[in-house]
Amino acid sequence: MSSELLTALHVAYIQSLGKSTDDLVYHLTAHLRLNAIYWGLTALCIMDHPEALERDEVIQFVGSCWDEKAGGYGAHPAHDAHLFPTLSAIQILVTYDALERVDIPVVVKFILSLQQPSGVFAGDSFGEIDTRFTYIAVNALSLLGCLDQLDKDKTVRYIKQCKNFDGGFGSCIGAESHAGQVFVCVAALAILDRLDEVDSETLGWWLAERQLPNGGLNGRPEKLEDVCYSFWVLSALSILDKVAWVDTGKLTSFILSAQDPEKGGIADRPGDMPDVFHTHFGIAGLSILGYPGLVDLDPVYCMPAKIIEKKGLKKGWKALERQS
Amino acid sequence: MHGVRRVRQTAEALAAKKLREQSKITEYLALNEEVLSKKASDDWSREAYDLTTRVLQINPEFYTVWNYRRNILLHGIFPKCSPTEINDLLTEELSMTTAALKMHPKVYWIWNHRRWCLENVPDGPGTDTEGDINGWRKSYWDKELFVDEKMLDADARNFHAWSYRRYILAGMPVAKPETAELAYTTRKIESNFSNFSAWHQRTKILSSLWGSGRLDYSKSKEEEFELVRNAMYTDPNDQSVWMYHRWLIGDGEDKEVLDREIIVIQELLDEQPDSKWCMESLVHYKRLLLQRHSSLVDAEVANDCRRLLDELRGLDPARRRRYEDIEKRL
Repeated sequence: MSSELLTALHVAYIQSLGKSTDDLVYHLTAHLRLNAIYWGLTALCIMDHPEALERDEVIQFVGSCWDEKAGGYGAHPAHDAHLFPTLSAIQILVTYDALERVDIPVVVKFILSLQQPSGVFAGDSFGEIDTRFTYIAVNALSLLGCLDQLDKDKTVRYIKQCKNFDGGFGSCIGAESHAGQVFVCVAALAILDRLDEVDSETLGWWLAERQLPNGGLNGRPEKLEDVCYSFWVLSALSILDKVAWVDTGKLTSFILSAQDPEKGGIADRPGDMPDVFHTHFGIAGLSILGYPGLVDLDPVYCMPAKIIEKKGLKKGWKALERQS
Repeated sequence: MHGVRRVRQTAEALAAKKLREQSKITEYLALNEEVLSKKASDDWSREAYDLTTRVLQINPEFYTVWNYRRNILLHGIFPKCSPTEINDLLTEELSMTTAALKMHPKVYWIWNHRRWCLENVPDGPGTDTEGDINGWRKSYWDKELFVDEKMLDADARNFHAWSYRRYILAGMPVAKPETAELAYTTRKIESNFSNFSAWHQRTKILSSLWGSGRLDYSKSKEEEFELVRNAMYTDPNDQSVWMYHRWLIGDGEDKEVLDREIIVIQELLDEQPDSKWCMESLVHYKRLLLQRHSSLVDAEVANDCRRLLDELRGLDPARRRRYEDIEKRL
C-alpha cells in the first residue's frame, strides 16, 4: 500500500494499455475503446503528462471511429455510433485542440435527434434512455459551442422529474438516487445554468453520507465503497461548494490505497485489479481533493480545467486548494 | 472491472497464461471480423443471426452486435415470419438473455435488449374480434415480473432489476394493483431493513396510492411510522431506515407528528446515547420546527440543536464541517 500517488507507474500503466494486444481483455473491451482513450488521456493530463500518448495517432484513431451512416462516433472502427463514444471523441479532440476534425453540424444533428418527447436523451437509435445520455448530450453540445440549439426547458423538465426526496437523482423517472446519476444530473444542470433546481442542502447531506468509515465513498445507502464514486460524489459536492462535508484526508488515503504499487493503475478498491476507468476517476478525485502536483480538473466536464476555462465554459464550482 | 482480486503471478505463469490466451484471441478476432463484415454488407440471414448469438455469448457488452441482431430480426427474419413464429423467436430471445443476465446481472445492453423484445411482441394469439389480442403480451409481462423477482432475489439492490421492474409494472397489459407492489416492498424490507432500494420503491408507490386516494392517507401513514419505528429500534445505525423516516416527515407541516416523532427518537437516543442517526434526525426535525412553526416553539429548541451538533462533531468527525455549517445557519 502506498501513501503517495505513483505518478510514473500510472503513466507507464496507461501507456501500456494501448499495446496490450496479447491480452484477451483488450479485445473484449473494444466496445469501450474511445471511452478508454478519453479516460487515459484525461488522467495523463491531470498528472501533467499529456504528451504520454501519441497525439497524431490518437487523433487518427478517433477519426477511424466515425460512423458515416449515423453521423456519430462508434467506440471502435466499424462499431455503431452511440452517445458514449461520441462524447469521448469530442473530449479527446478538444483536449488535443483538434476540433476542426469534427463535422460539427452532422454530430449536432445526431445528438439532437436522440432527444425524446419527454426531454430525456436516448443513447442511440434503439432508444435506451438514461439521464447519463442527457448529460452527454448537454456536455457535447456545450463543447461544440452549439448549446443554443438545444431545447433547454424540455431537457431540464425531465431531469427535474428524476429528483428524489433525498435530494439525489436517478437514471430515469422513478429510479433510486445513485451517485453516478447525481453527477450527471447536477453537472448537466450546471452547464445549463439551472442549479436552482438542486436542493443543495438535502443533496449535500445525502452525498456526505456516502462516506464510509474506511474513507471510501459508496454510490447508494448501505452499499460498498468504490474508487469511481470518489469522482462522482466529489464532482457534485464541488459544484455545490461542499467538498469539505466529507473527510477529504481519509478519502485521499482510500484512493491511494487502491493503487497497484507494482504495475501502476488504480482499482475499485484496495487489492483489486486496476483498470483505466478507476485510474481516471481516482486521479480525477485526487485533483478535486487538491492533491499536490496534480493539474486542476474541471468537475463539470471532467476535463482539464484550463481547457474548459479557455473555451469560456467554466461554471462556479469549488475544489480544494492545491497542496504544495 | 469490479471486485476482481489482484494476484501476483510469476513471469512463467504469466507467459503460460498469455500463450493459452493466444488461441482464444485468434478465435475471437476471427469471429469479430466475420460478424462485422456481415453487418457491413447488410447480411440479414439466419446464419448471421446465429453468429451474433455466438459473439454475444462471449461478449454481452458488444452493443454493436446487439444492434445488428435486432436489425437482422427486424429486416431479415420477421418479415418472413407469421406472428406465431415471431412470438416463438422472441421467446427464444428472452431465454437467451435470461441466461446472459444470470452471468452478467449488471450489463445494461442485456436489460435493454429484453425491453426491445417486449416492445416487439406481436398481437395475438387472438384477434380484435376473437380470442385475446393481448394474450401473448399478457403472458410475457407476467413472466417478466417473475424473472425480475428472481434477479432481485439474487441481488436485492440491483438497480437495473429495480428499474426494469418499474418499467414492467408501468407497461403491463393488465395492470398489477399498486397495493400488490406495496406488499412486495414490505416483503423485501422485512427480509432486510438495509434494502434502501425497496424503501425507495415504497416512497413512489405510496405517493401514488395516497395521491389517487386508493389508500387512506392518515391511516396508511401511521402504519408506515409503525413499520419504520420497528426498523429504527432493530438497527439504529442503518441509514436506509432514517432516510425513509425523513421522507415520511417531509417538510414538517404537521406539527403534531413532528413533536411526536421527536419524542420517539429522543427515547431511542436515551437508550442508545451514541446513536448518530438519532441525533442527526433530531437536529433536522427540530430545525423544521424552527423553520415552519417558529411562533409555536420556544427558543430552547435552537439550543438543543447546538448541543446535538456539538456532540455530532465529536461522534462523526468525517462530516464535522457539515455540522458546523448547519450551526452557523441556526
